[in-house]
Amino acid sequence: MNTIANKFTHANSSSVLNEINAVQSEFASGHQLELAPSIQVPPISQPTDFLRAHTDDASNPDCKIKIAHGTTTLAFRFKEGIVVAVDSRATAGNWIASQTVNKVIRINPFLLGTMAGGAADCQYWETWLGTQCRLHELREKERISVAAASKILGNLVYEYKGMGLSMGTMVCGYTKKEGPTIYYVDSDGTRLKGDIFCVGSGQTFAYGVLDSEYKWDLTVEEALYLGKRSILAATHRDAYSGGSINLYHVTETGWVYHGNHNVGDIFWDIKEKEQSFNNVDG
Amino acid sequence: MDIILGIKVQDGTIIATSKAATRGISVLKDSDDKTRVLNPHNLVAYTGESGDTVQFAEYVQANVQLYTMRENDIELSPKATASFVRNQLATSIRSRKPYQVNVLIAGYDTKTDTPTLNWIDYLGTQVELPYGAHGYAGFYATSLLDKHYRKDMKVEQGLELLQLCLKELETRMPIDFKGVYIKVVDKDGIKALN
Amino acid sequence: MSGYDSALSIFSPDGHVFQVEYASEAVKRGTCAVGVKGKESVVLGCEKRTTLKLQDPRITPSKICKIDNHALLAFAGLNADARILVDKARVEAQSHRLTLEDAVSIEYLTKYVAGVQQKYTQSGGVRPFGIATIIAGFDSNDTVPRLYQTEPSGVYNAWKAHAIGRSSKTVREFLEKHYEEDLSDEQTIKLTIKSLLEVVQTGAKNIEVSVLKAGNVIQKLSVDEIKKYVDEIEAEKAAEAEKKKKPRD
Repeated sequence: MNTIANKFTHANSSSVLNEINAVQSEFASGHQLELAPSIQVPPISQPTDFLRAHTDDASNPDCKIKIAHGTTTLAFRFKEGIVVAVDSRATAGNWIASQTVNKVIRINPFLLGTMAGGAADCQYWETWLGTQCRLHELREKERISVAAASKILGNLVYEYKGMGLSMGTMVCGYTKKEGPTIYYVDSDGTRLKGDIFCVGSGQTFAYGVLDSEYKWDLTVEEALYLGKRSILAATHRDAYSGGSINLYHVTETGWVYHGNHNVGDIFWDIKEKEQSFNNVDG
Repeated sequence: MDIILGIKVQDGTIIATSKAATRGISVLKDSDDKTRVLNPHNLVAYTGESGDTVQFAEYVQANVQLYTMRENDIELSPKATASFVRNQLATSIRSRKPYQVNVLIAGYDTKTDTPTLNWIDYLGTQVELPYGAHGYAGFYATSLLDKHYRKDMKVEQGLELLQLCLKELETRMPIDFKGVYIKVVDKDGIKALN
Repeated sequence: MSGYDSALSIFSPDGHVFQVEYASEAVKRGTCAVGVKGKESVVLGCEKRTTLKLQDPRITPSKICKIDNHALLAFAGLNADARILVDKARVEAQSHRLTLEDAVSIEYLTKYVAGVQQKYTQSGGVRPFGIATIIAGFDSNDTVPRLYQTEPSGVYNAWKAHAIGRSSKTVREFLEKHYEEDLSDEQTIKLTIKSLLEVVQTGAKNIEVSVLKAGNVIQKLSVDEIKKYVDEIEAEKAAEAEKKKKPRD
């Protein structure tokens, strides 16, 4: 433990690490009774600093725990519903951990959640969101609204604000009373309803293509292509995005999966067809 | 970088809030309403740490509405509302994780027929003002308001003065805040303009 | 029976929890409350105790309580217990708006109130609430009238028309005889007042009535408006009595 502690020159970190060592024994002794209900928190007084010391690539490139990051995800509303498109690359520092990650969680046949930021944070809490939505359905005998589902996630994430969760997600769905709806929810506790969102390290590249070609009156085919093309643009320029593209279309009868498209293959097809990507030799 | 401005005139209070919701280098939304209606004659406009702002504003909104339910449909007065909000922020500042939220509360007291504008920051500082702003907006608007504001202005003149301030902000602010939502609180309630 | 009724946490050998049943007795001593569903409205009526000479009737709290803009709760039993339950319901209604961004449905509210009542039948050191409630209203964006009732045991039921409190059996029998489906607003109000008059002999000044309609419409009838209905009903009764006399001549 001490050798790790000595590696960090940042003054605060060592005091935090000392605390971890001291607290290990306390934690083993078990639960304490509490008067007020509270959420489970690691026995560290400065969780953010602790996490930064151990997991933040930017402030400490030699950290031993690499959290999987890096993404481009997008969702937009149009006349025929919602198109959701995501990439499938997970990076841990500069290592590509996987090219086949599923970044869309199917909460229920009418609700989708996208994942950007910390892969584990998104996977865990969006699956948890799925169980909360199911409980709502059982209790209220009615499917949960997109507003309420996104608020459950938003409120949960807000409880952990400042403790190092890293999530940028979009909760997309269709209900009769709301129509097609997209909510952006992130780990700061921000929750925004909107028509177009791109989230992830490659979001700006995706916005470029999406904003310039977007129209409310797109056909389903055009919209799916636009979603795919925007993710492709991001995978080309963002090192932390890539792998393959997963496409979904959300309608009034629920979501429909429109396949997995490998970037390595479709890049050349699209380059040929569109006569674009002229910065690349064919 | 959010704009929130308030001007109290003789027959009402005007609030302007910017529409952009920016995260990092992307403008995620250009139609973000940074206000919440507390009751028919009280409006809160907020700015500050994302996440904290909406949570705090909606918490205040729920409690003000609960008060009305409990007290047989009596509305909480603007002064009482401001005191409640201030007290919440004053308690929060010395808690484990303070709300980093600054607000402007526009109100109209139907008992005394007077409009009010309360400026409250995240420390729990509260002051009733004829005009005010939070954040960088004040650096440009305050001097204009100092020069042109008159106590006996009506809503139309107040709106003209507001436009003058907004023009200056659009000229000199380094970022595009995508325009503003303007709301007026008067004896007839809360009205959204444009 | 003796001994099994002294604590909430004891079942009797034949499966009664006597404390909960005794709570219902407290309800039966409370002033009467009635709820009737019409085609497009729900009407709540309550018996008002005669005000004592120095009592100020304008400020003395009503027995029909507003929980949210679209829901009313009337009760019978221990008034003080009702105050607590009503406040819990109000807080839950606002809390629901905050977390679900939508108003409570009337069933949700009823389930919540009943849930609280049940909790107090299965806890240590507490007694059950001595009230039964009638909860009425319309769900948001819905035009179907809703009427529910809860009991000290935590049981809840949906009703077309119901009465609780003093002489509620008489009122319920009256309602069973005279209730029809799809009554108009006027007819529903009249039926409510008529059924209350069965037990409230002293007339309009001892009755309070509230009418709910879809879209957050809650209307409390004034004493004069109630008196108008009472007079109409008395006139009808008198005419009935006259008609009955005639053939004998």
